[in-house]
Amino acid sequence: MHDTTRTRKKMDRRTFLKRSLASGVAAATAAAAAPSNAAEPKAHPSKQLGMVIDLKKCIGCNACTISCKSENHTPPGVVYNVVLEEEVGEYPYVSRRFLPRPCMHCKNPSCTKVCPVGATYKREEDGIVVIDYDRCIGCRYCIAACPYDARYFDFGEEYNATPTAFDQSLSPEYGELRKRRKGRSPIGNTRKCTLCLHRIKKGLQPACVDTCLGRARYFGDVADKQGPLWQMISRRSHMRLREDLGNEPSVYYLL
Amino acid sequence: MDQGILLQNRTLFRGMLGMILVALVIGSIGMVIRFSEGLRVTNLGSIIPWGLWVGFYIYFIGLSAGSFLLSTLVYVFRLEKYEPLGRLALFQALICLVIGLLFVFIDLGHPWRFYMVYISQNWHSVLEWEIHFYLLYIVLLAAELHLVMREDFRLLAERKRGVRRFVYRLLSLWADAPTPRIRERAATVLKVCGIIGIPTAIAVHGGTGAIFAVVKARPYWYSSLFPVIFLVSALVSGGGLMLFLRAFFFSNETPEERDMLAGLGKMTGGLLALDLLLLSIETLVGFYGDIPEHVATLRMIMFNGRYAWAFWILQVAIGTILPLIIFLSGRASRSVAALGFAGLSIVVGIVSVRMNIVIPALALAILPGLTEAYHNIRLDAVYAPSLVEWLTTIFALGLFALLLVAGLRLLPLGKNRFWQRATLAEE
Repeated sequence: MHDTTRTRKKMDRRTFLKRSLASGVAAATAAAAAPSNAAEPKAHPSKQLGMVIDLKKCIGCNACTISCKSENHTPPGVVYNVVLEEEVGEYPYVSRRFLPRPCMHCKNPSCTKVCPVGATYKREEDGIVVIDYDRCIGCRYCIAACPYDARYFDFGEEYNATPTAFDQSLSPEYGELRKRRKGRSPIGNTRKCTLCLHRIKKGLQPACVDTCLGRARYFGDVADKQGPLWQMISRRSHMRLREDLGNEPSVYYLL
Repeated sequence: MDQGILLQNRTLFRGMLGMILVALVIGSIGMVIRFSEGLRVTNLGSIIPWGLWVGFYIYFIGLSAGSFLLSTLVYVFRLEKYEPLGRLALFQALICLVIGLLFVFIDLGHPWRFYMVYISQNWHSVLEWEIHFYLLYIVLLAAELHLVMREDFRLLAERKRGVRRFVYRLLSLWADAPTPRIRERAATVLKVCGIIGIPTAIAVHGGTGAIFAVVKARPYWYSSLFPVIFLVSALVSGGGLMLFLRAFFFSNETPEERDMLAGLGKMTGGLLALDLLLLSIETLVGFYGDIPEHVATLRMIMFNGRYAWAFWILQVAIGTILPLIIFLSGRASRSVAALGFAGLSIVVGIVSVRMNIVIPALALAILPGLTEAYHNIRLDAVYAPSLVEWLTTIFALGLFALLLVAGLRLLPLGKNRFWQRATLAEE
């Protein structure tokens, strides 16, 4: 609805032109060869990477949380993915329910809208909400604005007083290969789930999807209504978190 | 001289300076730690990302906008009665804005990247708009202050020697002796600045309210009444600060001056009553609406939160009821000291108003079970400022007091009697 990047606007114009051109061509070919069943180009909205999480398969093991932490080298207090737990009922009718919560990569993100420097934005090519660490001034408005509490501030804390080899290794996040140093980004920045953008670039799945023991997580293009994710979504009862807010999250939960 | 008790009495003045100095020295330790260690020395977290500093930021922006709007009574609406308050109002507005921005600066994760807001824009962000309004506003304030005091600076420079002479010359921007035409033109420019300033000041503080009001994720903030409440309470706090300063830093010898103070008291009292009304509306609608997060936030502020005492003691008793009693009582509302005291208690009480805007709405994790899902001190829904947060706050408050006292002592902020005398002598 509201676009928060200039590139996005440009692209919108371009896609608009492309689409109108395509429909024009389609109309022309249809007119030229009236009876032929000209295959119309698939009218997808732009790509939106997201996730489907099958809550029936989630066992609450938190493998996603841990793999995310090690993949993205997140410090204490920064957890891109958490598993919310709830105990329902009373003995003997009692059960525990789990709800993994990564970033929702909303179609209408609240966070990108409020950023005073445009450091956080939604990527046009795949709909991932990212943060430009070198532009972020650390005002934390986005953290206050996110309705899913999916943003974390990097206060610069470490797990080990004397850094281990892992602590000193380069973080692959965004493919930027940053070394963790006092006062340097991402310390002092907001951080969030990137759907493991650096892995996607290599053709891999996000770490949480890969590690999920129960295979509860599926990754893909949720804008592709004929794609594999919608094959699942359409067959099951499903929900998204806080639909009332109109953020249109890209994470679907199968119930 | 038209200087009040706190400037005239040497012991009191020295005591005040001493306290300011102590605050600055102790506070600077906190500043050094904060800037060398980063935000890890705070007790903020990812559930409550804003705390004491942001509370004081909106507090000072409010004081500034309120003070400025009061100055327009003189320079735009030309109410003769309040003429002696004009300069003080503008000066307050400038100092408060500077201190407010200092609090934002301290609060940023990467403070030295603040210039990013001027080279990298996001026009969808209310905060972005605000930052541009602050800049416009500071320029207007400086221009107005220069214009109203230019002649005094020139005359002061003639009387002083050495550094002071140079400083006054600089402040007057080497203005020549004014001709009637120049004076007339200055008055017009002043009025234009004031007229531009009114929507700017409204945008400055109403917009600061909008920073919170546009966050739909938090029902307590998400209210169209919020920017209005911000503006009204800004006017109240600006009036409060002015009452306090005028009562204790100026002599108020003449009946006209005392009359003017009483008038300011009535105005502040009326605004305070309006503020109370708006607060009641906001609270009652919230409770009636029964949206769980909204009610939980209100209950936290008023009843079961760890800072509920601040609401009742600071916000209600000291910030509202006590000054209202003073403004409503016949005798006290005409006593200069009582009015000054009422002003002080408003200024103190509003601190709690500001904190209660920022913190409780955040202290409620939006997703149930979030704080239990992963245990870390930065993911707790409780917040109490750390020692460093307090120390830096003490530094900023000390700096505020220092700038204020320096201005009151060295700048011709009172009624321009001095200037009138001087021009008479000249002629």
